[in-house]
Amino acid sequence: MSLKSFSRARAVHLMLVYTGGCNGCDIEIVNCVLSPKFDAEQYKVFLTWNPREADVLVVTGPVTRFNEEPLKKIYEAIPEPKAVVAAGACALMGGVYKNIHGDIPSEEIMGPVENIIPVDAKVPGCAVRPQDILSGVVAALPKLLNAD
Amino acid sequence: MTEEKKSKKQEVIETEVALGTVHPAALEPYRVRLFVEDEIVKDAEITIGVNHRGIERIMEGLPVEKANALTEKVCGICSNAHIWNSVLVAEKGLQIEIPERANYIRIITEELERLHSHFLYLAHGSEVLGQETFSMRAFYLRETAMELLRMIGGNRVQYGVSIIGGVRPRCELNEMRIQKIAEGMETIEEGLLKFADRFVSDPMIMSRITGVGQISKKDAKRLEVTGPSLRATGVAQDLRTTMKEYEPFDFDVITQDDGDVKSNILMRALEIPESVKIIRQAIKNIPEGPIVDRSWEMFDCDMIQSYIEVPRGTLYHSYGIEDGRLRGSIIRTPSMSNIGAMQYACIGNHVTDAQLCIVQCDPCFTCTDRAIEIIDSNSSNSSNNSNNTNIINISNSSTNNSNINGNSNGNESNIANINGSSNNNAINDNISNISN
Repeated sequence: MSLKSFSRARAVHLMLVYTGGCNGCDIEIVNCVLSPKFDAEQYKVFLTWNPREADVLVVTGPVTRFNEEPLKKIYEAIPEPKAVVAAGACALMGGVYKNIHGDIPSEEIMGPVENIIPVDAKVPGCAVRPQDILSGVVAALPKLLNAD
Repeated sequence: MTEEKKSKKQEVIETEVALGTVHPAALEPYRVRLFVEDEIVKDAEITIGVNHRGIERIMEGLPVEKANALTEKVCGICSNAHIWNSVLVAEKGLQIEIPERANYIRIITEELERLHSHFLYLAHGSEVLGQETFSMRAFYLRETAMELLRMIGGNRVQYGVSIIGGVRPRCELNEMRIQKIAEGMETIEEGLLKFADRFVSDPMIMSRITGVGQISKKDAKRLEVTGPSLRATGVAQDLRTTMKEYEPFDFDVITQDDGDVKSNILMRALEIPESVKIIRQAIKNIPEGPIVDRSWEMFDCDMIQSYIEVPRGTLYHSYGIEDGRLRGSIIRTPSMSNIGAMQYACIGNHVTDAQLCIVQCDPCFTCTDRAIEIIDSNSSNSSNNSNNTNIINISNSSTNNSNINGNSNGNESNIANINGSSNNNAINDNISNISN
């Protein structure tokens, strides 16, 4: 293990981007880092709001039309190596918003997230459970740690 | 030299600070433009419409029960309030009497939701203040309410308790569950007292929040502030006092005087014991009997309206039923008017407090940005006309309901206000116009 990956493993910074879901997943993710019950900080996972500081990008929501450009910009602003976790049913397949009545695609929704930026780990659930978020982030970690 | 320096000191620097659409201090994306003169906010503009998903359009034409389930996805924080109100609309139209026990379970769920929403407000507010320890303490207490909700509904966020005619069978409260709720209430009450004591006796926090983001009683009425934010300015208006669902319960309407951030925070902290009181009465007096009545019949009905008090204010749902399917759904969430009012609360404050001023009304941009407008490209004029009628419709319906004082003026001005400040697209997003 190189010094870089050693130190990286001890300071994983999550950035949360909300792209138009129902807010349930976001609260659960913030909850999973800040709440003493789950407390991701004990595993050295920190929540940040600065893309240049972040290692893991957690995306929730079905990506509305207005959020597509900001999401791309945020993704580009994160330094390499980076990992993307798509959390929640909306981020994975557009959720209830993507299809109007089964087969008419909604013009408002540009998602799922996969169509816009590459996704490394997918966390299912509506809304995602805090435990699942943690395991999703852990699943994306090898990409960070094994880089260079 | 000295003269030059003096003249520079007196120079007023006018600039614009733009936050968003994705900004660290706010969970949800929205855009705020602060027009600043020497670090004092002179004017503020909030632009919404980024989260637009068109839920009311998706609801159009769905079977009623399916559409009710969809309203939960309007907002992940007050999801039960939306499904409850949507079900109430159908029950009003189809003239369904629900069993008494079902009503009690709905009230318990709603009050638990109020608890977790208010704790989230305290946690988020503390985080914006920069007090992460207080934030973690509030999140820890909130966890109790979340676990109780998971126990009743089976999920931590979207619990789907209400269905037409009662509540879902899985939400039956047996002895063990009632016992757990009673224990949870003890934990919450005890924890809240400690939290509030620490919070109020912290001079750093109190000096930061006292007198910041003040909104007067007169302005609050004019700008149609609803819910706890309105009660924080001294207006004792709570729809729960007039709702027939809340008749069996005894509780106080809390008010504060100042309308600043301090009053708003104390308001939420003091409402938590009231909710605990309601839940305690509910679990003590819960009647025996069935929890769902499935013997109702479907028939067509015109637009039906329903108002309820949700954690953030007054929630309005309305739709008509045709062939068992939904027609012309309109949802109006409390954050709609609260966010518009917070533009005024920012004025005159320091630029560092601007975010705090906006957050003080517990804004939920998710539920605010969900409406849709369908513009007929051939006749853009006619769509504008129907747009206006729609606004008037909403305000008329509010005046018909005697519970809401003087909603008509403020409603219209408020929508116009947010629209006036936003760019082109957000204008249309806020106003539902499905009838085209």
